[in-house]
Amino acid sequence: MILALDSALSGCSAALCEGQAVRAQESRELAHGHAEILLPMVKRVMAGQSFASLDRIAVTVGPGHFTGMRVGLAAARGLALAAGRPLIGVTTLEAVAAAVDSVERAGCMVIVALDSKRADIFVQCFAADLSPLAPAAARRPDEIARDLAAPGASLPLLLAGGAAATLAAALSARGLTFAVSRAAPRPDAATVARLAATRPLPSTPPAPFYLHPPAVTLPAGGGGPLPR
Amino acid sequence: MYQVGCTAAKALAPTAGTRYSLAAMNVLGIETSCDETAAAVVNDRRERLSDLVLSQTALHAVYGGIVPEIAARAHLDHLDTLIARALGEARLGWADIAAVAATGGPGLIGGVIVGATMAKAIAVVREIPFLAINHLEGHALSARLSDDVAFPYLLLLVSGGHCQLLIVEGVGGYLRLGTTIDDAVGEAFDKTAKLLGLPYPGGPAIERAAASGDATRFALPRPLKGRPGCDFSFAGLKTAVRQLVEGAGSSPPTARDVADVAASFQAAVADVLVDRTTNAIAAFKRRYPDGAVLVTAGGVAANQALRDRLSDLARRHGLLLVAPPPRLCTDNAAMIAWAGVERLRLGLVDSLDFAPRPRWPLDPTARA
Repeated sequence: MILALDSALSGCSAALCEGQAVRAQESRELAHGHAEILLPMVKRVMAGQSFASLDRIAVTVGPGHFTGMRVGLAAARGLALAAGRPLIGVTTLEAVAAAVDSVERAGCMVIVALDSKRADIFVQCFAADLSPLAPAAARRPDEIARDLAAPGASLPLLLAGGAAATLAAALSARGLTFAVSRAAPRPDAATVARLAATRPLPSTPPAPFYLHPPAVTLPAGGGGPLPR
Repeated sequence: MYQVGCTAAKALAPTAGTRYSLAAMNVLGIETSCDETAAAVVNDRRERLSDLVLSQTALHAVYGGIVPEIAARAHLDHLDTLIARALGEARLGWADIAAVAATGGPGLIGGVIVGATMAKAIAVVREIPFLAINHLEGHALSARLSDDVAFPYLLLLVSGGHCQLLIVEGVGGYLRLGTTIDDAVGEAFDKTAKLLGLPYPGGPAIERAAASGDATRFALPRPLKGRPGCDFSFAGLKTAVRQLVEGAGSSPPTARDVADVAASFQAAVADVLVDRTTNAIAAFKRRYPDGAVLVTAGGVAANQALRDRLSDLARRHGLLLVAPPPRLCTDNAAMIAWAGVERLRLGLVDSLDFAPRPRWPLDPTARA
């Protein structure tokens, strides 16, 4: 039995899975308020189920929106600590890729693009069998398009993820052809659970995968005051 | 549903023969609203079974102030292990914890979200109440943890983010008499320290430097001193220090100069706090003629020179000054756990959909 959570992007989801079966799941799209929604959702998904009966807990570690990622990881680490169960991290990029239908992705290079709330997007390329072709990165859409336009890349392109439209515009501007997947634009907790089921247990708890360093802006005269 | 009433009532009822009769009610506290990651276990017998604070000062020092995103990341990196250590040091297991209390605001929201979310997760798994604590209420009630002070009392809350005078009438009952109209007092300490080239955080650095300084060498302003009311202002004092330091020319100030500016600044702050608190004592006595205690709390209340001045002030007005030990004045989780004990006793628990609050006045009727 696996409990999986995601709140790294524009939504929250939680799922309780056993083998291939989804016992309970909930998902909700939202831009803000992950910290209010996630734990009540977990409680409902776990209704009638003891945390001690979980084999593992799984969570998306990012890349995504900093606050949402931390809600997911703080919740998952708290659940794992209090339940004494192991915690597995899955990236948002691989979770979105894994939700692309196997027929749809056959023979394609799957490019997952996610919103970073900045000028760049979070991106990772996967082979049709979902093995990663390159590390996850935060890059500008036009740079990604330039690289894909270089000679050598010949596979059909299949775009997925919440920033697929942004990337699609940049690819079109380069005259590249591509298809856009019907898969969900953000991670789905049931897919996160499926991915986590076969992963080896990590020796240290999953850490957030930010990809962006903290934006450090110093107010005039030094550090700012706390809000009153 | 939470078994809130149940848990609290069982733990509190001293019914002979039940397994709860001798058991203390232990509350886990979590504090992540600024640059200290903290976890503690406190019980309803006012015992601090563990009280851990992991300071992020070194992470922020290079920036001369707290960087919210760096703070939020550090809280997430360390909080779960710190909680496990807090339980271990208290020699307790999860089954011994009656409730989990976390700072729900006010503060740097990224950090508050980490602490409150982890607390909610623990509450869900252990099926115990979750309490979202106002950080200021943590400070306000800390004197009841350290010294068992009875309500009502007058409170001077002085910290990096706040400077307020309140009458504490009970748990959740706060009447604000005055607040700062510009900077918090701790902020004035930090900025003065920075101007003098002293390390961050500024409070302890100023206090050390001031110890050997001449407080009468520089005549710094005492904003609002002598005026009616209980509000504070520190912007003018900060500006005066800047003009003083910058007016001294390009050569770095000598150790003597630094000590004298620090001492003069600290004396000005003390004069202002004493003046405004004098007005607050009058207001407190009007409302509660038998009121007997002045409490000071918050990080700036760790300053011994200020404590001495306030102690003297209280004595002159027939009050007792209670200042929790410095460890309980600076940010900590024991005060959050204790506020949790106080609220749990009254059944004031929170729902799992509690929204962390960047701003959260203690007295909701007070003007902004």
